[in-house]
Amino acid sequence: MAGSLKAPSPPRWLLAELTYSCPLQCPYCSNPLDYANLSTELSTDDWKRVLKQSREMGAVQLGFSGGEPLIRKDLVELVSYSHKLGYYINLITSGYNMDEAKIIELKEAGLDHIQVSIQASSQELNDFIAGTKSFEHKKSVAKLIKKHGYPMVLCVVLHRQNIHQMKDILEMAIELGADFVELANTQYYGWAHHNRDQLMPTQQQLHDAEGIAKEYQTSQQGNMKIYYVVPDYYEGRPKACMNGWGTTFLTIAPDGVALPCHSARQLPNFNCPNVNDSSISDIWNKSEAFNYFRGDDWMKEPCRSCSEKDKDFGGCHCQAFLLTGDATNADPVCDLSPQHQIVTDAIEQAANLTDDKPLVFRNSKNSKKF
Amino acid sequence: MSIQTELAIQLSATYRLQWEKAQDMFVLLYPEGLIELNQSSAEILQICDGQNTLKDIVSTLEKKFSTNNLESDIKNFLNTALDNGWITQST
Repeated sequence: MAGSLKAPSPPRWLLAELTYSCPLQCPYCSNPLDYANLSTELSTDDWKRVLKQSREMGAVQLGFSGGEPLIRKDLVELVSYSHKLGYYINLITSGYNMDEAKIIELKEAGLDHIQVSIQASSQELNDFIAGTKSFEHKKSVAKLIKKHGYPMVLCVVLHRQNIHQMKDILEMAIELGADFVELANTQYYGWAHHNRDQLMPTQQQLHDAEGIAKEYQTSQQGNMKIYYVVPDYYEGRPKACMNGWGTTFLTIAPDGVALPCHSARQLPNFNCPNVNDSSISDIWNKSEAFNYFRGDDWMKEPCRSCSEKDKDFGGCHCQAFLLTGDATNADPVCDLSPQHQIVTDAIEQAANLTDDKPLVFRNSKNSKKF
Repeated sequence: MSIQTELAIQLSATYRLQWEKAQDMFVLLYPEGLIELNQSSAEILQICDGQNTLKDIVSTLEKKFSTNNLESDIKNFLNTALDNGWITQST
């Protein structure tokens, strides 16, 4: 399907997923369920080529992510190279294996910011969700990040098991001196989709948590910025997919697959290009995958005639595929979607979960089963 | 919050102002975020250097663009910038 003929706007954001390896086992991980079968990784030189070509195209925000990016031995070298290219460099990490020497080394290489994830405000729950003993270390890493002059972003993914800790989470963020806090309600892709029944909060839990978040947003104004990522299953309108497909974001997976959104590799018959075969410019401007949902030629009803189509672009195509089997359907979280009942049923199903269905943790052993 | 006239204004430590050739514009960069600036916003932020007060910024830009009615626009923008945490004033 052809997108608009107008030249696409340049990428502004490059997400470099350096590796799928991770010492943590969070059951809401957005990585593919079968990541263990995708063990090929780009070389240092491959990454440098990707970084240079993307920067020339216009990318300026760069995220090193994963998996756990600290596992890559060439991380400092890649940070240093990216800094010389003029990127604003974000490291998105679990903090695991981070120590003060590494924090200093990365700072000297030109790293701009470190985002540390914490799974809960209590050691017991954090270590359970992470599948790894990590709570105290994460807190000490957060303090070291501040000590060495980085802006510090604390990211907490919210779900049924930790959302009741909202107040304690925010108090912990204040204590750690966070500049920004990202309170991210779980988005149901990858492992999170698989564990949805056990992760989905109730309406009452959300209501209580949102109230507390708003209260702190007001009381912390000018001190700590609090971002609250809404739970789209409860919103009635979909999120604006990637700020518009192929308009802003470029994700490169560990094996070099280029994706308009980090969930897109699950879309069937999508022929996502690989940086081993094509230049970033060809991938961005000419590939079928990046053009697929550009513009609105692809839209069906009810999106096509919807007055809000320029606001949300039909929502998330990966979610439409996951829930309806067709990525060109309206995102069913939209209550105008004829398939919206799939979402209300999912909420009800999660609310009525009575048995102790265990969480499936993200690790290689479980991944190989998919 | 609003701008205090007697204090110098500087870009906040968590923000970086940068010229982007590919987009032909200045952008403001911060953790995981990017604000694309129009020309007038960029002109103002470029001289938020910790030395200039509101009055200095107004007079510099009025001279540069040979005009004399910029004060209220600049003040409005700086108040927004302060609310957003892009700039600070040290006491």
